[in-house]
Amino acid sequence: MLGSTLTDARVQTGFSLAFHIVFAVFGVGLPWLLIVTEGRWLRTGDAVWLALTKKWSRVMAVLFAIGAVSGTVLSFEFGLLWPAFMARYGGVLGLPFTLEAFAFFAEAIFVGLYLYGWKRLSPRAHWLTLWPIAISGTLSTLFIVTANAWMNVPTGIKEVGGKVVSAEPLAPLTGPGALPESLHMLLAAIMCTGGVVAAVYAVGMLRGRRDAYHRRGFRVGLVTVLAAAPVQLVVGDLAARVVEKYQPAKLAAMEGLAHTRDHAPLTLGGIYDPHTGKIRFGIEIPDGLSLLTGFRADKTIRGLDILPAKEQPATPVVHLAFDTMVGAGMAILGLATLLAAVALWRRRKGIRPLIPLNRPWLVAGALTGPAAMFAMLAGWEVTEAGRQPWIVYGRMTVREAATTSGGIGWSLAATVLVYLGLATALVLILRRLATGAPPSLAADSDLPTPLDPDSSALESPRPEHAHLEGTPR
Amino acid sequence: MTAVDLLLAVIVSALAAYALLAGADFGAGVWDLLAHGRHADRERRLIAHALGPVWEANHVWLIFVIVATFSGFPTAFGLIARGLELPLALALAGIVLRGAAYVYRAYGEGAAGPESLWSRIFAVASSITPFMLGVSGAALATGKVTATSGPLAPFGSAFTLVSGVFAVVVTAFLAAVYLCHDAGTDPDAKDLVPAFRRKALAAATLAGAVSLALLPLLYRDAPVVAHRFTDRSIPFVVLAVLCGFGSIAVIWARRYVLARATAGAAVAAVLLGWAAAQYPDLAVGAATARESAAGTANLHALLIAMAFGLVVILPAFYLLLKVFSGPEGEREFEATQSQ
Repeated sequence: MLGSTLTDARVQTGFSLAFHIVFAVFGVGLPWLLIVTEGRWLRTGDAVWLALTKKWSRVMAVLFAIGAVSGTVLSFEFGLLWPAFMARYGGVLGLPFTLEAFAFFAEAIFVGLYLYGWKRLSPRAHWLTLWPIAISGTLSTLFIVTANAWMNVPTGIKEVGGKVVSAEPLAPLTGPGALPESLHMLLAAIMCTGGVVAAVYAVGMLRGRRDAYHRRGFRVGLVTVLAAAPVQLVVGDLAARVVEKYQPAKLAAMEGLAHTRDHAPLTLGGIYDPHTGKIRFGIEIPDGLSLLTGFRADKTIRGLDILPAKEQPATPVVHLAFDTMVGAGMAILGLATLLAAVALWRRRKGIRPLIPLNRPWLVAGALTGPAAMFAMLAGWEVTEAGRQPWIVYGRMTVREAATTSGGIGWSLAATVLVYLGLATALVLILRRLATGAPPSLAADSDLPTPLDPDSSALESPRPEHAHLEGTPR
Repeated sequence: MTAVDLLLAVIVSALAAYALLAGADFGAGVWDLLAHGRHADRERRLIAHALGPVWEANHVWLIFVIVATFSGFPTAFGLIARGLELPLALALAGIVLRGAAYVYRAYGEGAAGPESLWSRIFAVASSITPFMLGVSGAALATGKVTATSGPLAPFGSAFTLVSGVFAVVVTAFLAAVYLCHDAGTDPDAKDLVPAFRRKALAAATLAGAVSLALLPLLYRDAPVVAHRFTDRSIPFVVLAVLCGFGSIAVIWARRYVLARATAGAAVAAVLLGWAAAQYPDLAVGAATARESAAGTANLHALLIAMAFGLVVILPAFYLLLKVFSGPEGEREFEATQSQ
């Protein structure tokens, strides 16, 4: 219950992590999109690409700062809320955290150069500063998630009497979960960025702002999220196989499988009932889970009963979160497949633009944003709740790790208040930023060009607007 | 030199970088808070302009210090986090609010409350953080901080409280010195130089006075560190005093580039003097560096990673400072703001 130190510490960590992740994903994804838009502007001198670049760089500036300070909160909270965990395993996780700090360093340095260097750098040098931002943002995601992967599958460590006596420094980076889990998160970040960008411009177009600025913003975002979806399916499958092998209880909780058995069914949706060990209202596919994990129907899958009830994860939450993630991911993948088919067909028929922009497609595009964000948060719920009651799987429980300090209730209340205040302000600011193309563009861009939006007059090379700032010289 | 000592040296150097770079950013927030009169808005704008490109990179030095401490000295980190939970949590609140308020003011266009509100939050949060970090550092020297000493223990002596004040004054001093140069190279802000010069001289004098008050408190409240201080830190004290008076002299002579060097050296000398006296304790009486260190293989891996990392980061950091240190071509700040 809230009010106990353990619960308060867990809630505060969960809240801080969710806050950080929701904003930090854009710090990972936006630089890659900016490489595209600013690169297009450099090549074409087209004011629309510049306007998109400027807008997104302002969004990145705000979100990067919020990601940076909320990330600092986490690094303090490890010690403030989980001192016993850090005291025992801080050294083991040292390498990924140190590498992450350096990646973050590079990111912050080049973000400063990028955001404030429009006049001080040549256009080409300015565009080049995006590369270290994008690469180090990507690397910092990979490094930080390997630390989490190690907590899930702790390898390369010897302990005697509750003390680490030897630990391979590279273990967190080379563990079986490291690559699939960190890639899974990286793709999620890119999908969230693409989806939310697509959603913003889809909503803009649904409200009647059908100019080249919105069409291109929508296209860049939508192509990003949809192109990443099939890759995510493969990587997510790899990650699940690692879970099956090293964290059987987590897999059992994800699938709501109470008893170890062969011919294990796959149950889609539904609510797991911990008293009966059955899923209510789910759709059961006979042999499905056995076939998915072992490629044969008689493959034995370990159920929750491999552990005593006290050591089992909270299956109702884990199963629900897992199906939310998979459902949202599959919906995005379905849209990707459908749209790919439609685009191919339209290309054969010579219809432009390849991505249809009528109402149903825009609504579908707008939904990819929330779908990707929900899937990402649900995925974190799966990996964290599915590891309970352990903080380091099989080695240290969350209870052992938690602080024993009495004042955590205050700290939780303050964290929630401050973060809610900051999030509200941030949403207001982002809404203000999302008010369409800059006036100088919007003036001429209401002229629709039904056949090919990319041939409209305002997109001719070097219109006047391009000379306002950062023009190639 | 053992791996433990080498890692300590890296951490202390990073802490010095944090103090000299991010410290000045916090100090600039103090001047934002104290700005008044008809030039107040222009002073605030100069401060915001100076911080813009660098404050996030400067802030990463703290993350580096935290990560290096918990990776290299995990048991000490667990203990320090428990003992210093209140001042560290308040410093953290200051860090979060300062950063958020800065970008909300710069990019918010008034969408989430007036700029003056975020300006005030920025300034107050900037002043809280160095105070809390000063208290935290001093508390580690007192020998009264343990895992069970309670949240108020770090605030329990005059020494820690005055150290917090000292940290605020020192950061304000650094900021004023740096801003003298920034204002001087900005054609639109040249007339603000005399005001920042007065602030720099006042802060230098105040820093000297507070440090004099701090010495007897050090001997009373932190005897273990005080005795090592007498044995080891005199060279640093001499350097700090010389550079402190030197700073006053060169600011008086309006040599602001040189003043940056002397001011930085004075502050670094104070920090090194404390670090030398603190060695080999991380928290006096509760954790030494050697006892709390991670395994040797892990320390070696950390040091190798840090060597490679610094080879990449330091040139980039130099590039950042260089690109934004030259005389202004045009006032890009306004251009970005008005978009």
